[in-house]
Amino acid sequence: MATIQIKTEVSGSVWKIITAVGETVEPGGTLMILESMKMEIPVIAEDGGTVQKFTVAEAEAVNEGQVVAVLTK
Amino acid sequence: MTARVTAEAPAPTDWSPEVEELRQRRGYAKALGGEEAVARHRERGRLTVRERVAGLVDRDSFKEVGTLTGQGKYDGTALASVQPAPYVMGLANIDGRPVAVGGEDFTIRGGSSWSGDRKKGGQGGFVEDLAASYRIPLVNLIDGAGGSVTSINKRGHAVFPGVHGFERSVELLGMVPVVCAVLGTAAGGPAGRAILSHWSVMVDGISQVFAAGPPVVERSLGQKLTKEELGGPQIAVDLAGTIDNRVDTEEDCFAQMKRFLSYMPSNVWEMPPEVTCSDPVDRCDEELLSIVPRDRRRPYNMRKLIEHVVDRGSVFEIQPTYGKGLITVLARMNGKVVGVIANNPMVYGGAMDVRAARKQIHFVELCDCFHIPLVFLVDVPGFMVGRDAEAAATLREGMRAVYVGLQATVPMYTVVIRKCYGMAGMGTTDKNGLDLKIAWPSAEWGSLPIEGGVAAAFRRDIASAADPKAREREIEDELRSMASPFRTAEAFGVEEIIDPRETRPYLCRFIDAAQARLRTTLGPKAKYGVRP
Repeated sequence: MATIQIKTEVSGSVWKIITAVGETVEPGGTLMILESMKMEIPVIAEDGGTVQKFTVAEAEAVNEGQVVAVLTK
Repeated sequence: MTARVTAEAPAPTDWSPEVEELRQRRGYAKALGGEEAVARHRERGRLTVRERVAGLVDRDSFKEVGTLTGQGKYDGTALASVQPAPYVMGLANIDGRPVAVGGEDFTIRGGSSWSGDRKKGGQGGFVEDLAASYRIPLVNLIDGAGGSVTSINKRGHAVFPGVHGFERSVELLGMVPVVCAVLGTAAGGPAGRAILSHWSVMVDGISQVFAAGPPVVERSLGQKLTKEELGGPQIAVDLAGTIDNRVDTEEDCFAQMKRFLSYMPSNVWEMPPEVTCSDPVDRCDEELLSIVPRDRRRPYNMRKLIEHVVDRGSVFEIQPTYGKGLITVLARMNGKVVGVIANNPMVYGGAMDVRAARKQIHFVELCDCFHIPLVFLVDVPGFMVGRDAEAAATLREGMRAVYVGLQATVPMYTVVIRKCYGMAGMGTTDKNGLDLKIAWPSAEWGSLPIEGGVAAAFRRDIASAADPKAREREIEDELRSMASPFRTAEAFGVEEIIDPRETRPYLCRFIDAAQARLRTTLGPKAKYGVRP
């Protein structure tokens, strides 16, 4: 089982986490939505997988390249 | 008397010993650095330079030049062996068109430089002269680390940098397409040459590129890094944009090099190659009508949008992993080559940061140089904001993008998909040409987005209101009602508003018509002024 680190491509803040730990996400599925540059930017699990943990919480600030979730597949 | 003897016994005309020697010498060239060195090279998962050339060019089209170069060893006067020069090059065809192609042979002294009477490859080498003289593309297969301090030993003096300067390499960039693949560890001169290209590519797992490798870095800065950590594709392609694209295998690399060249003319005096288009010009995809969410905070997939507009299967993305706020693709419309520059709302809402600006600068110059019309699919809220962005010189790099756009003379088409604000927005227009700006009904524009500007422009008005927040919203709503694109179209401030589904036929019509302008403005582009 491979561990996948999901990194954000933008700096901003976590607006809504729309998946839960243990949930399986399809490839291309959205894990959470960030707010950046007044836009709602989805964080996408390109290859899909099962959410092991989130490393950020809602309303928390994130930096570009930061790991925001860990998935396994 | 002597003359009579000669007439009776004809002079020998048999050159077969020399032809046999030629065959033998060619054999040494084909053997590269010898079985052992070639085996070691293959164990590292790398192809030899001859396999690379064969994998890239049309079958049997390679005509080698300088096959016999190298260091001969002799038993008395008889040839014992030849160690070939560590560079293989010549003339070949790619998709039926001639190119100059060459690459270092890593199996001989790691592809380091060689001192013949004339350079074969590298800066100022024969292969560059061939490309320049015949006005054909240059393909560099780079697998060498450049100069070595051991050359001081051989010469007895240190060589001044630039004895074989980059002047020819630089000249080529304004004349013919130059494509570079980094196929090993490139440092020094070969690394520099990889950058002096119109498009460059490296292969995951076998390629690294840097100004100087790990030993120099450790000695200079005390940083212990592997080659991969210092100059693998994650650094050189994704993070730095030093090299444009990354691929998984050498075969994929050759396929992509061919693909890039398929959009390029052989030189700046020719038109980019046109192909027959089987995709209907009047294709109006329904999906375009609903691709942009009405909620302006929601992004959408710009890559899908591009696919709906250009000829099917014609997209070739340049720098897909760098500067992701901007998408740059070579594509075709009705068979004619176009360069598409699209903002990506998924990354910083499409705002132009330093990386996006650099990407746009290079792409605009590439298309302008080779007479490829540009299509801007605009959704840009402006330059990137914030301390990090200011510290990275976004304003300066962004204005460079604007400057380069304003110097370009190739036809440009502005299609405003959603946001078009500020100087970054202005940088998408064709001020030296027709300045044709078309917009979708979802378009909005201005000096800056309303929500950002109201608080500053109406500060006193808002502060003196009984409910400042409500007053701010009221002003925003009032201004937004006047920001409809239809009102600008009434004033001919934007030339046309189209149904999104009509984007393809509309653009195809104008790009077809622009061919006359392109044909009559071929040749090198003059450069003047000072980039900010």
